[in-house]
Amino acid sequence: MNAEPALRIVQVGFATTVQDHGRVGLAHLGVPTGGAVDRRTHDLVNRLVGNPPDAATIETMGALIVEALRPVVVASSTDASRQTLGAGARIRVDAPPGSVWAYLGVRGGLAVDDVLGSRSQDTLGGVGPVALVAGSALPVGPDPGTELAADHAPPRGATEVRVRIWDGPHHDWFIGGTQSLIRRPWRITSELSRVGVRLEAGSFDPSTRAQDQMPSIGLTVGAVQVTPSGEPIVMLANHPTTGGYPVIAVVEPDDLPDLAQCRPGMAVRFRRA
Amino acid sequence: MSRRPYGPVAWLLDDLTDPAAWAASLWAMDVPGVVEIIPAESTVVVRCARERHDDIGHVLDMVVPTSRAEGSDQPVTIDVVYDGPDIAALADAARVSIDDVVRLHVSGSYDVAFCGFSPGFGYLRGIDRRLHVPRRDTPRTSVPAGSIGVAAGYTCVYPSSSPGGWYLIGRTTASMWDAERNPPALLRPGQSVRFRRVPA
Repeated sequence: MNAEPALRIVQVGFATTVQDHGRVGLAHLGVPTGGAVDRRTHDLVNRLVGNPPDAATIETMGALIVEALRPVVVASSTDASRQTLGAGARIRVDAPPGSVWAYLGVRGGLAVDDVLGSRSQDTLGGVGPVALVAGSALPVGPDPGTELAADHAPPRGATEVRVRIWDGPHHDWFIGGTQSLIRRPWRITSELSRVGVRLEAGSFDPSTRAQDQMPSIGLTVGAVQVTPSGEPIVMLANHPTTGGYPVIAVVEPDDLPDLAQCRPGMAVRFRRA
Repeated sequence: MSRRPYGPVAWLLDDLTDPAAWAASLWAMDVPGVVEIIPAESTVVVRCARERHDDIGHVLDMVVPTSRAEGSDQPVTIDVVYDGPDIAALADAARVSIDDVVRLHVSGSYDVAFCGFSPGFGYLRGIDRRLHVPRRDTPRTSVPAGSIGVAAGYTCVYPSSSPGGWYLIGRTTASMWDAERNPPALLRPGQSVRFRRVPA
């Protein structure tokens, strides 16, 4: 730790980690990029406190309680607003209605030691700073000296989630190709994590022209892998570097935050990018 | 070789005879906008900046896999105690003796075909065909770091404690992964590897 602690975790909540924009250039060694699952919201809380977009924040599925050890300016995506916490004051961070992931940004950014160029916690391979637990004391970087602009951001509209997709490298292995994903409504299952989210639909024919098991290929964020059972899995920020299922489509990067924030049971429609 | 679009920020290069060598050539070209080069069994995935996607696609068509990967001519030697819990099971599956398992494994010369599964986990090719066996029916939930595994036509060294379905035939104290080291992984694509038998 390279600074005095400014925040203390009172209650660690669910799936709570430090995240930034992840580590790049190491996928060939088996190190996932990682970083915030919903980079748009991560960047938003940084903007609210005047940080650069890649400053480290806390990502959580909720029930996170943090205490200030000295006065700090924070922004939570729970209500997308900024506030100053005095010493001893606490803030609770929960995912807003209809979403999964919440972010807490702090002016100056979390200053935990970086590992291989990032402060993000890799929840798959274990690369990164220490895991957060109740009692963890977190240092915060120096004030960026920026002006604080808008002190709140408009909440997400609760509309039907529509997600654009591109052809994946194996789209022509499937009967109907990418169009077979577009034709039917999909539902988010409860199998979701930083690694990926599994979707289900009534009847989807997962049969491919590949007779044998496919050799593993490199993965990329947004890749839609189809398992033999016919349930597509969309790769999120902490996906493994390689995978062994055919990739029928790739989610448009600009739409990935919308998909990543979908709660189990929510309906998703794909359309062509 | 064929090149397939993989969304707006990546390409898949398929049907490569030596993905590690192809990747080494692309690394040597130092193409601006290339973010990740990920060799696998017969493919390489290249992740790149969105605004350079089309241009980089054309560059990829010109890659000739002539470069030797760093470390391909200087093998690292890994000391192994051959006392793994699955050595007898592997001997049964391969229909050879336990001594044969050790002899065949230690005499092989290997190189890293690609990395994946976990940080620093290299898939080592070059294992004797008599030791080509499928993965175990039931994976272990936890394999100790440093375990030597054999399965699916490859051998490996588990760099960290993780689940695993390979036959465990031995162990090493070599540091396979160290985030403080540069590079952090002992085994990188193309690196050649020998094993040396040491007493327990």
